[in-house]
Amino acid sequence: MAALGARRLLRPGRRWFSETVPGAPSPPASPLYPPVVASITAKSRSAKSRRLQRFNQRVHAAATVEEKLRLYGKLQRPKYTVYPQTFALNADRWYRSFTKTVLVPGMPPRAAAAKPPVAAAEATLEAGRAPEPGAEAVGAAEAPEAAKSPEPAAGAAPHLDIGELRSLACDALLQESFYQNKKRPFLYRDQDHTPGPFLTQLVSTLAASLSSRNPLLAASSLDLNPEVNYYWHHGEEVVVHGHRKGRVDPVRFQIDDNPHLQIRVPKQLPKVVPLESDLGDVPVIDHKPSKLPLFKKQYENKVFIGSKVADPCCYGHTQFHLLPDKLKRERFIRERLEDQIEVVYRSNGIASLFAWTAAQAMYQGFWSEADVTRPFVSQAVVTDGKYFAFFCYQLNTLALTAETIKNSSRKNICWGTDSKPLYDVVEDGNVKGFNDEVLLQLVRFLLNRPKEL
Amino acid sequence: VFPGVRQAQWLTKTKLVEGLPPAVQGILDNPVHGLQELEERAKYAVSHARLWDTAEVAPRREQYCPLLFENLIHTCRLMSGKYPSLSKRMLARNFRIAATWERESILLQVRGLSGILMNSMTPIPPVASKEEILATKEHVLETFYPIAPTIDLQEVNVYKELNDTGQCFRDGYPYSHPHTLFFLESANVRTDRFRPEQLRAKMLMFAFGNALAKAKALHGNDPKVLEQPVVVQSVGTDGQLFQFMVFQLNTTDLVSNDGVKNLVWIDSDQNLYEKAQCVPEVKKKVVTKPAGISGFQPDTFKKFLALYLHGTV
Repeated sequence: MAALGARRLLRPGRRWFSETVPGAPSPPASPLYPPVVASITAKSRSAKSRRLQRFNQRVHAAATVEEKLRLYGKLQRPKYTVYPQTFALNADRWYRSFTKTVLVPGMPPRAAAAKPPVAAAEATLEAGRAPEPGAEAVGAAEAPEAAKSPEPAAGAAPHLDIGELRSLACDALLQESFYQNKKRPFLYRDQDHTPGPFLTQLVSTLAASLSSRNPLLAASSLDLNPEVNYYWHHGEEVVVHGHRKGRVDPVRFQIDDNPHLQIRVPKQLPKVVPLESDLGDVPVIDHKPSKLPLFKKQYENKVFIGSKVADPCCYGHTQFHLLPDKLKRERFIRERLEDQIEVVYRSNGIASLFAWTAAQAMYQGFWSEADVTRPFVSQAVVTDGKYFAFFCYQLNTLALTAETIKNSSRKNICWGTDSKPLYDVVEDGNVKGFNDEVLLQLVRFLLNRPKEL
Repeated sequence: VFPGVRQAQWLTKTKLVEGLPPAVQGILDNPVHGLQELEERAKYAVSHARLWDTAEVAPRREQYCPLLFENLIHTCRLMSGKYPSLSKRMLARNFRIAATWERESILLQVRGLSGILMNSMTPIPPVASKEEILATKEHVLETFYPIAPTIDLQEVNVYKELNDTGQCFRDGYPYSHPHTLFFLESANVRTDRFRPEQLRAKMLMFAFGNALAKAKALHGNDPKVLEQPVVVQSVGTDGQLFQFMVFQLNTTDLVSNDGVKNLVWIDSDQNLYEKAQCVPEVKKKVVTKPAGISGFQPDTFKKFLALYLHGTV
């Protein structure tokens, strides 16, 4: 206050006792005193918000994406580990609420470009089903008749030889389950014995034979057993015990996922619906996440899509998940929880795809304070070896923390189907009851590409 | 202890030819196959396996060796967009082989997990002409007198003479011709890995075992000179050094030391790249070695691809 008084006396041209019009005192070019802001180190709410702002500015100002990721996950605190493959009841509702996702049943409407080859394939389907599906096992002898039926005027795209693809799939299945002599499966490791290798063979041969049709596949990278991690905050809670008791903390989550197979591409898949679309509601759950059950652990906060930031194939195309023995259908049926079978597939699809797309978005420099400017789309196939469920995920927003979620009305969207069997049974070198729909959907997934290609 | 390939040659009655056979060389030199464009993809495959795959700083050999192999095979398989008959191949992992033969009254047997086998529906046509096969009659096998040729081999009482790859695959398997065997030396510790010479010997023994089993399945158990020689290829690597081998089985008459011999072409110690630097090396604040793959040799990848395409193009 004394300083202010001194300034008034010192101001030039001002006389208390004269009528002279004072020359307009030129406002000081810059304030003489620093702005009055909250402290950084005090134990107060304003100090906390100032610290948060400084942190956000540091992350915004980071020079490289690696530096951004390092700062983002620097502070380690106990966090909930979210497992995509879980036996928890109704886990998919919880996961949708954690990730602000809307579940839309069925597959998204495909662009017209994919329709002509598929239409021709359907025409061949009817012709192809007439010879009994059971004899499809060895060679493609019956298939050429089906494949040669002329395609309706579909333009330049050559029609899809579904018979050829069917024989590839059947050969992969038979090799793994019938022809190759293997030792007995290890206890509770049935999935590694037959369905795992079958899925690997199927995807690698299908991707290779479809690469002529889809140039994106020709530039893709196939990862076997990769690791996908993502760390995020959602909601707030009060710390219950410990030296930080009573403070309001964000609820932290971490997904550590190991898909069986993953295809990464250098160009992004096209968006399915516009960024701001609203296709449903996100479930709101009033309980604490630990009621799911979900447990807290403190370890490294990793964000990883399967390879480092320097990799040119930084966008995701399709993931393939294999359900472990612990979550097999017979177990659910035995415990009279039939409705939970689909929940397993859905929760796996939602959690894994959210983690993957969000990690891809972080690799491009977006994070919860700098929300995505374009939607990130990826696909996933969840299977237990016989039943296949297909998922397509569009990430519209990363803003899930307590402050940013208020300002953002965008929701992430997940399209998903129910699980359908690919075949009925394998006997004596024959695949019985092969379901072409499932194969066709898989092929459509693999052929998905941006419009310019 | 012994140069392994020479010993293996005696055991399998084989004549060695350095370099790759002319059929494979022809695929290499043919520009139609577009091997140049794939150089980019090969470099990406190496960088991905050696540098980018893991969230840690540098992947270990147990991780990057199989991954490099998978990436290279994926790149080769993508060629089946261009040559649809390439999709008539199937990879079999964890594959067991057993073959028995007699060599100058010593009973020998090859057994075990031989890595990864690629099968195809059609056999590889013979790479050596009839004249070359007959010329091997004059070739004298190197003996190691006074050292017995079975030194360092495990002597075992064999109760069942197991004899076929039919042991591993059931009848009616459509992909019945073994095409290429892949051996990955991916142990982290150097002493657990085979040295290149021993790896080549192992490749020769297993290629011979597979070819012999196939020949006995096709032509019966009697020892004779084969009208249609059986060709099996083999590739061994430790993540950086590659050994390429093409083996042609001309005869199953292995008891005597004369007559037609089998042929093997070996291209050894091909480096795919010199060094993979994960973190840039900085000495006194100056970057001496930047991060990345240095000394990439596209020819090694081209040979890999040529062996893959062999038999179909």
